[in-house]
Amino acid sequence: MEDYFLIITPKELKEQLDDFTVIDIRPEDQRLEFPLVGLDSIILNNDLVPEMDGKQVLVCQFGIVTEGMILEKELENAFSLLGGAQAWDKFCREQEDLSRWSRQTVLPEIGIEGQKKILNGKVAIVGMGGLGCPAAQSLLTAGVGHLHLIDGDEVSLSNLHRQPLYRNNDVHRAKVVVAKEKLAELNPETSIRATDTFLNEDNAEKLLSIVDVIIDGTDNIETRQLIDHISKKKNIPMVHGGLFRFEGQVSILNVNGSPGYSELFPSKLTGGNTCEDAGVLGMLPGIIGNIQALETVKLIVGIEPNLVGKLLIYDGKNHKTEIIQL
Amino acid sequence: MIKIKIKCFSQVRYAMGKDEIIMDIEVGSTTSDLESFIIEKVEGKLDNISLRVAVNQKYVQGSIELKDGDEVAFIPPVQGG
Repeated sequence: MEDYFLIITPKELKEQLDDFTVIDIRPEDQRLEFPLVGLDSIILNNDLVPEMDGKQVLVCQFGIVTEGMILEKELENAFSLLGGAQAWDKFCREQEDLSRWSRQTVLPEIGIEGQKKILNGKVAIVGMGGLGCPAAQSLLTAGVGHLHLIDGDEVSLSNLHRQPLYRNNDVHRAKVVVAKEKLAELNPETSIRATDTFLNEDNAEKLLSIVDVIIDGTDNIETRQLIDHISKKKNIPMVHGGLFRFEGQVSILNVNGSPGYSELFPSKLTGGNTCEDAGVLGMLPGIIGNIQALETVKLIVGIEPNLVGKLLIYDGKNHKTEIIQL
Repeated sequence: MIKIKIKCFSQVRYAMGKDEIIMDIEVGSTTSDLESFIIEKVEGKLDNISLRVAVNQKYVQGSIELKDGDEVAFIPPVQGG
């Protein structure tokens, strides 16, 4: 039996990549969580491993299912990737050249250990508009390993003055698709998932379930309340941002029982205007989206003080900030 | 009389036309009294807008009595993104 039980480590696989066919046996949700960056894999939709010449590596999420499969089916020339896709993801991130981030790893608050946390960070951004674009760009360049962009909107001409990932030629294209293309040019090593749909009650829990932080870049109160609900339920911090003309708000909500959006503003609240109604100058979402990205990195690394349990209000006319304790 | 400062944010700032207002109010006045004063003053410009109130940079629940030197902030939700 032991003759059939073969294991290969991520390091060995990397060194002998040309000798193997990689077969990914995982369902879609697991593949999205840990994409096999740098591997050309065959996706197996059933338990039938195709017969083929040469050696194969079977990949599951944690390396347990494939070990069992090889034993049970007595597969010859099949190896199980030790630790599975999760281990491959970790291995790849450890191989990255950290000199790319030398100007931030030199910060005593970040260092190499902090950078590794950033590289393994998973962030969902709901709304790829004025807040989502700068937040995504800054998080990607800071090295955040996994970004999940969620928005069902298309690029329109009136977006371009404040959403710098999009160009004239992108008008009428799906925002998340364009954003993924532009961001991948900045750092192809980052895993970027683009979900071209609006968040709603039916999809919210599934879409937001496997991340460390959720960034609220939406433009309406109802979606903020929905994010808040999932954030509370899953105990995943929500980094809220909002805009009104020259003013912006940022708050980190739902960190181990800290106040959420429903405490920040009561559930039956009304009022507020969208950028379309109230107007906004392009620089303001750039500032607020970047503050959201900054607070997200601080959360991932564990840097304090931060905006947990506080509301920051930035006034771009007078350049005044107010921090309110919730 | 006591002296307090009102800090206006987003729609309140535009409705009142000011960032800050320093005013004398009766001893015993509350945050609710101040909110009513503002709502009346702007003649409908803040209708249907929920306001949260902070006193000295801290959210307050319900209505509280104000003291001399208090800073009272009126904060609406902002929708834009």
